[in-house]
Amino acid sequence: MPSGMPLVNLLCAGWSGMVFLFLYIPIILLVVYSFNASELSFIWGGFSFEWYGKLWRNTALIAAAKNSLIIAAITTVFSVVLGTLGAWLLYRYKFPALRSLSTLIFIPMVIPEVIMGVSLLILFTVLATPLNQWLATFSEGYFENGFATIIIAHTTFCFPFVLVAVQARLSGVDPFLEEAAMDLGAPPLKAFWLVMVPYLLPAIISGALMSFTLSMDEVIVTFFVSGPGSQTLPLKVFGLAKKGLDPSLNALSTVFIVATAVFVVLADRMRKLNR
Amino acid sequence: MKAIRFLIAFTLLSIIAVPGYGQAKKKQVLNLFCWSEYVPQEVIDGFTKETGIKVNVENYASNEEMLSKLLAGGSKYDLIQPSEYVIEALIKAEKLEPLTLENIPNIKNLDPKFTKLPHDPEGKYCVAWMAGTVGIAVNTAKVKTPVAGYKDVFNGTHKRRIVVLNDSREIVSWALATLGISANDMTPENLEKAKPILAEWLPQVKVYDSDSPKTALLNGDVDLGIVWSGEAAILWSKNKKFTYVLPSEGAHQFIDSLAVPKGAPNKENGEKFINYILKPEVSVLISDAFPYTNPNAEAVKLLKKSQRDNPASYPPGEPKLETYKDIGKAAKDIDKLVTDLKGGKK
Amino acid sequence: MHAAIAAPDTGGTRRPGLLGWLLMAPMLLWLIAFVIAPTVILLVYSFCQRDDLGQVVYTFTWDNYRRIFIDSDTGEFGTIYFTVFVRSVVYAGLTTIICLVLGYPVAWFIGRAPESRRNLLLTLLMIPFWTSFLIRTYAWITILSTNGLLNGFLQYTKLIEEPFDMLYTPGAVVLGLVYSYLPFLILPIYGSVEKLDNSLVEAAFDLGAGPVRAFQKVILPLTQPGIVAGVLLVFIPAIGMFAISQLMGGGTQPMMGEVIQNQFMQARDWPFGAALGMTLVVLFAVVFWFTSRRQGAAEG
Repeated sequence: MPSGMPLVNLLCAGWSGMVFLFLYIPIILLVVYSFNASELSFIWGGFSFEWYGKLWRNTALIAAAKNSLIIAAITTVFSVVLGTLGAWLLYRYKFPALRSLSTLIFIPMVIPEVIMGVSLLILFTVLATPLNQWLATFSEGYFENGFATIIIAHTTFCFPFVLVAVQARLSGVDPFLEEAAMDLGAPPLKAFWLVMVPYLLPAIISGALMSFTLSMDEVIVTFFVSGPGSQTLPLKVFGLAKKGLDPSLNALSTVFIVATAVFVVLADRMRKLNR
Repeated sequence: MKAIRFLIAFTLLSIIAVPGYGQAKKKQVLNLFCWSEYVPQEVIDGFTKETGIKVNVENYASNEEMLSKLLAGGSKYDLIQPSEYVIEALIKAEKLEPLTLENIPNIKNLDPKFTKLPHDPEGKYCVAWMAGTVGIAVNTAKVKTPVAGYKDVFNGTHKRRIVVLNDSREIVSWALATLGISANDMTPENLEKAKPILAEWLPQVKVYDSDSPKTALLNGDVDLGIVWSGEAAILWSKNKKFTYVLPSEGAHQFIDSLAVPKGAPNKENGEKFINYILKPEVSVLISDAFPYTNPNAEAVKLLKKSQRDNPASYPPGEPKLETYKDIGKAAKDIDKLVTDLKGGKK
Repeated sequence: MHAAIAAPDTGGTRRPGLLGWLLMAPMLLWLIAFVIAPTVILLVYSFCQRDDLGQVVYTFTWDNYRRIFIDSDTGEFGTIYFTVFVRSVVYAGLTTIICLVLGYPVAWFIGRAPESRRNLLLTLLMIPFWTSFLIRTYAWITILSTNGLLNGFLQYTKLIEEPFDMLYTPGAVVLGLVYSYLPFLILPIYGSVEKLDNSLVEAAFDLGAGPVRAFQKVILPLTQPGIVAGVLLVFIPAIGMFAISQLMGGGTQPMMGEVIQNQFMQARDWPFGAALGMTLVVLFAVVFWFTSRRQGAAEG
């Protein structure tokens, strides 16, 4: 290895360690205090599973958590599709309105969440009336704010993040990669699928992670476009702040963390098995 | 590729057509739009058990949030839980359904003090849920000098050790109270008079918090504050060193009520819910969880002595109280005044 | 900034055929329906007035925009909203810089890690953010408050005598912002680092000029798209962020996001809120358009 590189790598590793520690301090605290018998967060009152019991009985909170997971998953799928396709198309084609299109995609990332929430709510309200009239012709149901509207809203501001991540990876790619595949007789769409996508995968994954995170944690826009029966976890937590957060939320966070850790380890094992 | 796009389009359509699909009137539901952490889960569960009606709950953290969503449309609510001045505005704008009082016989349990109030003189649009006041919570372990009113809070000795509600209307009304002006008299001239007072007061505030002002007091980051009575009640029940004082210059009494918005799809279910929570034993559950002033006279009889003794929940004596009236356009001026001062404008 | 989003310098040279337009249709339709349409509605609102209840009245007025730019008391150009905007930009800028300093080495470390480890590290990075943002912020409040853990620890180890104010200060706000946005900076840079050609990196170090030069001359330019994307993703949303300044800063210094949110809540002045929002959006779009044009010209 050339000189200087091991040192650089070592420094980066150490630095990363410290940053990770910084990221995890509140998390560790959350986990520790989820077992705290005393309700006041900063006094240790002894070990207890009390809050997990309370969490288990809090059906509303668990239902909200489920909603959040479903919404985040679907949002991520949509965002990845829209974002990856969009990034690739922007890269591949050149036309006069290209720059305007880029600016347009940029807007949902920039617009303050309240604005987006309110404007989408009004849009859905305006759409609901004719939609309901059409529905009324053959059924008794009616359209109202719920999962669909939340997913649409989340996807709208999540997919630009995927797009940006994929574009970062696209610039500087060998332009003849695709050409080569097509020269070998593959139709353009297949060339994309078999050549581009694997290359873009790291960026797609990082974009997907961002999208999932954004959706799980989103409060403001969700507040405006949700309806009764589609309450998400951040919304419930946002409301709980009024009474003062109680440790059953710490318990919930711990459950999430443990579940994710287990999932990651399992996925890793399965991948190693496949090799 | 084409197959994938077709799949996506199909998924999109099915998602819109199915989960967002409202329920036809065959299944009994109640869409409750209430303050977050104001309706105990046991009350909701008890109601469902007794009537078989499923309750869909949606929350908000301020009256204005509720108004925003209600007026923008998009969801049909059966019950809302506004404060008194909002009810007045809604009645004026004809956004509330008059209640069929025959469906709510338990209304007789209410203390007459909380019926036929100025915001609903005929008593036919809303039923009181909980009342409370906005007053001064003091950590007597840290504050040794007497605090009787707003002037004592902001006299300069507690600089940067104060928490107040993040509510422009409240803040301005306190300044007006020290001038002897009513909180409902928000004319531009009065606002001008309040400005120099607020310019002196606001830099002394360390935290603005309407959601959980007790946190700053419990954490020791502040020594006193102007907070909701329910917050002060919780503080007192945790540690008696936190006392509650109703300002001598005058305090705001708020009354939150249940009301049915116009066009509610399940109005009778809403009335059934109101009747249910007026039962004394159910009302006690609400008091247990949220120690505000319970307007249900029969329920108060069933409370524990420690609850009735709580000076924040049931203030002794005859304090000077005032309820808010709707001030219409002045809300914008108040917000501008407070934001400007917070931002440092002279 | 431009390189990340505007017309790329390599690759795309053809105009889209029928297939191209067909493929772009979903995204275009989505953008029209859920980005353009709401923005248009907002634009309309910003020129409207409000009634007593705070609802929109469709009467044309310039008042909202006038209020943003011209002080109502003095009639001069420049209002409190300028101050608020500048403050938000300063906080956002500080946050971005700190995130860069903290985050770049992490992105390097993860990007250069053996492939089997990378996804694990990425997930580890994101796990804290799958707990609710509010809960995490309250955890920090527990740590930083006067009776909190950090003060308790420092007093216990006799490092300080009296607890000192950490919470409800500008520093606490920046910490909260950095904590929230760090992954959004790390991930795009990671994307760039990951695709660096290993031999190129080794060659850079081999030049003998030392790691600093290698970084400056070779690695930095190569990872520029990632850096630019990361900065975008942190700086701009941070300007509109409001909850953190309230929760960790005590709400004493209003930020842009807070002021806008207020208009839709307490102040019940939707048209004015819409005007503020539109001003921000237009400002960003203009800056973006301008710089992307410059870059386009520079590339010839």
